[in-house]
Amino acid sequence: MTRKNYFLLLDELVENDLGTITGTENLTDIPKWDSLAVIGFIALLDQHFAVSVPAVKIIACRTVDDLASLVADKLTD
Amino acid sequence: MPAFTIDGVRLVGLATAVPGTRAQVQPTSAVPAEDLAKIMASTGVRGRHVAGADICTSDLCAAAAERLLERLGWERASVDLLIFVSQTPDYVLPATACSLHGRLGLAKSCAAFDINLGCSGYVYGLCVAAGLMQSGSARRALLLVGDTISKVVSGDDRSVAFLFGDAGSATALETSGSGRMHFVTGTDGSGAGHLQIPAGMFRAPSSEVTRLAHKGEGGNMRSAEQLCMNGPEIFNFTIREVPAMISAVLQGAGWNMEQVDGFVLHQANKFMLDYLAKRMRLPPEKVVLALENYGNTSSASIPVALCESMRERLARAPAKLVLAGFGVGFSWAAVAIEVDCPHIEPIITL
Repeated sequence: MTRKNYFLLLDELVENDLGTITGTENLTDIPKWDSLAVIGFIALLDQHFAVSVPAVKIIACRTVDDLASLVADKLTD
Repeated sequence: MPAFTIDGVRLVGLATAVPGTRAQVQPTSAVPAEDLAKIMASTGVRGRHVAGADICTSDLCAAAAERLLERLGWERASVDLLIFVSQTPDYVLPATACSLHGRLGLAKSCAAFDINLGCSGYVYGLCVAAGLMQSGSARRALLLVGDTISKVVSGDDRSVAFLFGDAGSATALETSGSGRMHFVTGTDGSGAGHLQIPAGMFRAPSSEVTRLAHKGEGGNMRSAEQLCMNGPEIFNFTIREVPAMISAVLQGAGWNMEQVDGFVLHQANKFMLDYLAKRMRLPPEKVVLALENYGNTSSASIPVALCESMRERLARAPAKLVLAGFGVGFSWAAVAIEVDCPHIEPIITL
């Protein structure tokens, strides 16, 4: 999956207009990045990458790029 | 995780009871209206039945048991085994099963004991009861399963405030040449801290400090004597273990998905159930969803779902069911069970 498509999935998850997320955003600046979004993100990782990441690692992420780093080996530019 | 089989026991009756007090999902100071819609969409809960101070889990189970004994025409002296499954017992001691034994007027020869499990408790209860009955130690059993989790939930904790409802159930089991149940069970104790009440018992006794509410993650207010739930880790656990469990129990029974008449999973929340069903490619019309008016009733969620959503279907013809409980502990158990028109009561409201 490309990083661009990954960010589109994240846009959908946090109810952004598609194409809003560029990667540099702080998660605290995304209004809909809340506990329900974290659960949705876990489902996203499972569905699209067959990956399970401990919740503590997701919660430790500060930026969208940090979220991308969780599946860095599965993303292409 | 291979399945194991218990022969010679049939499920012949089921009744559930809920408190009369309804709590609708409404905005609070902790959860404003704009956040509420999203929470309701995720949980699938619009309202719950909650027990007041004068109703315990045992009262709900006793009401269900009385109704079931009457409808089945069982002599009380014919009940050989009573198991009470709950994480909200009446007392630290004695076992609530013993006091229920007295309330129901059962014989002194009847064995009675508690099992402390939640989400997986109903299926574990079936497993333990059926296993004892297979040994010949009991011919008839009452499995009483329920919880009043609303009593230990903070109204200012948005992760749990609108999720949990209260219910109690009674299941009648009888030995029979034709009965067969296939079980899968499991535990991952490394997850014990992800769904717990941290204080109030012997590891961390109750004190002024433990009774004081404090702000936790996400701004949720709760005391150490109230339920603390790590939703994301619990979701990780369910994705990791539940599909494999369902697959194993189907394999143990020699069933394919199309043969199953109902998949009754622990009614944790709608998002989780929808995702699990999609992931496991379960036929959507066969996955029971009964959260809307009852919430997550913990150990009672499977019997509530059966009474609420499958009563008419189960009265018409024999049915193959997969019942799966998973959650607190982490603990999980599933059963593939064929039922032949058991007596299912409409849900009783106290």
